[in-house]
Amino acid sequence: MKRLLLFTALTVAMPAFAAPPVALAPADVPALVAPPAKGVRIVALWALDCAYCEENLSALATWQRQHADVDLVFVATDSIGQRDTLSARLKAARLDAVPSQAYADATPDRINYLIDPGWGGETPRTLVIRADGTRKAFSGALTAERIASLMH
Amino acid sequence: MRRFAVLVSLLLASVASAAADDMHGMAMGHEAPLGFDATIDAGGHLWVVDTVGEHVRARRSDDMGRTFAVSTIVNPTGEPLYAEGENRPKIALGSKGELYVTWSQPRKLPWTGFVRFSRSLDGGAHFDAPMTVHTDRAEITHRFDSLAVDSKGNIIVAWIDKRDVEAAKAAGKPYLGAATYYSWSTDRGAHFAPERKIVDESCECCRIALARAPDGSIDAFFRAIYGDNIRDHAFASLPVGGATPKVERATFTQWHIEGCPHHGPSFSIDAKGTRHAVWFSAADGKATIWYGQLMPGAPPSHLATVATTGASHADLLADGTRVWIAYHQMSPEGLNLMLRESTDGGVSFGEPRQIAHTTNASGWPKLVLWHQRAFVAWNPEGQFRLVPTEALQ
Repeated sequence: MKRLLLFTALTVAMPAFAAPPVALAPADVPALVAPPAKGVRIVALWALDCAYCEENLSALATWQRQHADVDLVFVATDSIGQRDTLSARLKAARLDAVPSQAYADATPDRINYLIDPGWGGETPRTLVIRADGTRKAFSGALTAERIASLMH
Repeated sequence: MRRFAVLVSLLLASVASAAADDMHGMAMGHEAPLGFDATIDAGGHLWVVDTVGEHVRARRSDDMGRTFAVSTIVNPTGEPLYAEGENRPKIALGSKGELYVTWSQPRKLPWTGFVRFSRSLDGGAHFDAPMTVHTDRAEITHRFDSLAVDSKGNIIVAWIDKRDVEAAKAAGKPYLGAATYYSWSTDRGAHFAPERKIVDESCECCRIALARAPDGSIDAFFRAIYGDNIRDHAFASLPVGGATPKVERATFTQWHIEGCPHHGPSFSIDAKGTRHAVWFSAADGKATIWYGQLMPGAPPSHLATVATTGASHADLLADGTRVWIAYHQMSPEGLNLMLRESTDGGVSFGEPRQIAHTTNASGWPKLVLWHQRAFVAWNPEGQFRLVPTEALQ
């Protein structure tokens, strides 16, 4: 619970400044996908190899700026060992103000499964988690229109 | 013997130095890349390639993977390497004991890379200096290399290439995905022919499967794009010399995604020419590994679901009337290595069988054949194993 509170506090407080991705271990996944106290949490999964992911992160960051009840976190399926490369990529795309995590595993399969057993690992993947515990997921790049339909 | 000792100590030193370099700047625990490839030569020696820091390593086992009698660094001068599941080093064998190795080398910009090749003509004692396979040297994607040798000994290398998307972008024209290219060598890898396009608008991030046809030539099966980002698969023959590849759609699962599946197919062609294939699709949100017998230009026959939720990275091997499919199955308890087997040429498959397990991660499974017996090469936690397909867990 303490971990969850800390995580929530971090994800809410961090948009004010840029920080490198933090490690997401398998044990951290329940906190990541726990329903938020209010509003909506969006978990935006991306990968360095994915040419569609930055536009997806950018569309979600824009959406969040216009919707105060949206808590957004970026999660790279690449290993946290690539922290510097991940940071540089987010910074170059001006997406480094959003709280960010990266997998603390050698291959993405286990954490993919823990986040969403029905997900085959394709990216971008967007997970919408509501305060009432309901979830929606979408694979592929989102536009503002698609985000709107995913949120409703 | 002394020479051998010197060689071994040099290799160990280079490995240690590579490991030290790799750790530099890593504030937290670094997981070693697990991407590998494996094959068995005519003498029953198992060959495995993987990476150690900025070095590709080729190892030979004379006891089916229990120990390694030879371990040689392919590129003594280190360079950045892609070493993950879909984009890992590859190894193939020539008929006269030649060892051929390819890998993709990341360049400075995102999504860029060069396809690299090296060979050993002395049984793996040393490898020639690596060369770049393609003539195009633009700082763009030339990645996700695949490697095969035809029955005449010609080497075929195929890869994903973004020169055409760059040209389309410059001309303000739409272009989905990337192109797939290939090249070949008719002189045991001394030179490669200027590359040739297989097809435009194919997938950017999935491995290309290559297999030898009964006539000895090499065919390709890879994820392509149809219409508005329908990510199905194409089949193409890859001629060496004048003819151009004939490319036809071969799967019709209708998975629409503006994204990267990170999930390439596998296929194997039996002596009768039946093209046994496995591929991944998440059409309608249902992650599924499919099996089918490719009928290029038409939907596959004998379509069957191999596995669904939590299953990934299937590899397939056919020999006579036997077909083996190995794949990863995640579970809350960890990663299971699964096997399904057909003894009637793919008409029907036995129930999924768990043949190994790890609580940790492994590179993608790779099936290898030795005297009509199939084994699965696997490296849970970086510890290489050859798992008999007859194994029971």
